[in-house]
Amino acid sequence: MSGASSTRRFSRKRGPEHRPWLDWMVLPGLVAVGLVIAYPVVRTFQLATTDYNALSGMDPRPVGAENFQKLVDDPIFWEALRNTAVYTFGSVAVSALLGVLLALLTENLVGRSRILKTLLLTPWAVPFVVVAFLFRYMFDEQTGVVNAVLLQTGVIDEAVPWLVSSTWALPAVVAANVWTQTPFFFLVFSAALAAVPNEVIEAARVDRTRGWTMAYRIKLPYLRNAALVASLLMVISNFNDFAKIWAMTEGGPGYASTTFVVWVYRLAFTSFDLGYSSAIGVVWLVLLMVFAIAYVRLLRREA
Amino acid sequence: MTAVSSPAPARQRTPVRRRAQKRVGTLGRNIGIGVALFFALSPLYWMVTTSLKTDLEATRQDPSLWPEELTASNYHELINGNLPFGSFALNSIITALAAAVIGMVLSALGGYALSRGTFRLREPISYLVLIAQMLPLVVLLGPLYLLLLNAKLVNTLPGLVVGYISFAVPFGMWLMKGFFDAVPREVEEAARVDGYPRWQILFRVVLPLTIPGLLTTGTFVFIESWNNLIYPLTLINTMDKQTLPGGLILSFTGQFKTDWAGMMAASCVTTIPLLVAFFAIQRSMVRGLTAGAVAGE
Repeated sequence: MSGASSTRRFSRKRGPEHRPWLDWMVLPGLVAVGLVIAYPVVRTFQLATTDYNALSGMDPRPVGAENFQKLVDDPIFWEALRNTAVYTFGSVAVSALLGVLLALLTENLVGRSRILKTLLLTPWAVPFVVVAFLFRYMFDEQTGVVNAVLLQTGVIDEAVPWLVSSTWALPAVVAANVWTQTPFFFLVFSAALAAVPNEVIEAARVDRTRGWTMAYRIKLPYLRNAALVASLLMVISNFNDFAKIWAMTEGGPGYASTTFVVWVYRLAFTSFDLGYSSAIGVVWLVLLMVFAIAYVRLLRREA
Repeated sequence: MTAVSSPAPARQRTPVRRRAQKRVGTLGRNIGIGVALFFALSPLYWMVTTSLKTDLEATRQDPSLWPEELTASNYHELINGNLPFGSFALNSIITALAAAVIGMVLSALGGYALSRGTFRLREPISYLVLIAQMLPLVVLLGPLYLLLLNAKLVNTLPGLVVGYISFAVPFGMWLMKGFFDAVPREVEEAARVDGYPRWQILFRVVLPLTIPGLLTTGTFVFIESWNNLIYPLTLINTMDKQTLPGGLILSFTGQFKTDWAGMMAASCVTTIPLLVAFFAIQRSMVRGLTAGAVAGE
């Protein structure tokens, strides 16, 4: 607020020549964004109304809303929608919960034991492809350590074919995803906890509030904003996640772990059906915009 | 630890019970942290130890906790084997660095304009840039591929960098805008009063203050590029131009038998640069990512 008014005063005082070169500095970035983002988006909308196979060598043939018609009747569309929802919201809910828990557990660590916090962050620094390889190995039916441990402790009687079973493939990918992104929530919540005003905690302490009551009634409400922003951000990023799913299951078996990203990729780059894949892209952009706008409004309200 | 959470009044009533409660609480907390550490680190332990096992031992049905026969042969294989691992790594480093540098330059310029500019569309453009970074890459990929095909940039490293720009620039600009916003206007005002010309204020006063932000932006773009799989899989179609993620996926999967030990050795090497990058910027990154969501940070 004070920033905005001082800008205005600033520019009025400086008259008509209000640093135009400063404004133009935004141009190179905008040109880049226009070329690699805006143009493809426009082209996607245009291709969505055509029948176009990139391998056929023929030009796109306009077909109106036919692709969207086909989409609604396509059982894979609904399966992919369900998988995307499970993957996105499942991962975010579980990691956010674990993140809060870890932040509360490690809140009072001081001195040398703070290194434990850093150690808890390590999974975040592992490249996605490596995460996928690692969990593929651990979830392998024959040689995986997960089956070995579960068999030895008697939790299961026979080896579970995790990544090649249509029931377990998606949960296994979610597990890998939760492993890598819990540290993000942990870090955000730790920062937010540190920002809870001391007076509030002191006042609650005088009222003999302790332990979990303190955490639940006093501190958690202060984490609401951080939780909202961080969750929305991760919802968007999981919505768009490709590397982990593709490197673990390639969306299989069948379409059991195929999310929107994987489906579009399969259509566009293994069957080269760019018309149909663009139609899916359009539906998806619209869905994503809902979350993006929610995120922007959230940020604006805070600013 | 306990000193922090035990203020003086707590000692007045039933001190014994309270202390016992506290001990149970501390014990519970330590167990919780222990379990968390186990789940966070055991997969990494598994990755490192497996990379030091022989292929036979890595595929055993009753896995050994520590390699019975310690061997570096998997790492030798990476360097000397028929897998072009060195060239994957080099391509990854070149493209990720190029994307980071281009991202830093464009983001510093654009971020400054978005933070201090006076043009009317400043705010809408800022939010468009924010939204642009949320768009799914895969949706952009078809048209982008056709575009690069026309520019004869498919299957080249510059083409791959163009792809990386699609996340580097929107994210970087937004991040840098935040870092510039945090520089008090009074600093610039003071420099102006002192008679510095405008461009010198940017380069000699403001930019030095945002060096941490600039490094964060660059590192972040580097990490994202290092992680990216979808662009190398689609925009590159020969093995000699592949990056680490694409190359590893193409060479370790889709075969009849998986070379787990070799895969884990490759994974270890792929992880190291990212591990370094991450810990260099973890704190400022979370601030940038959540863009002020955490009050007082």
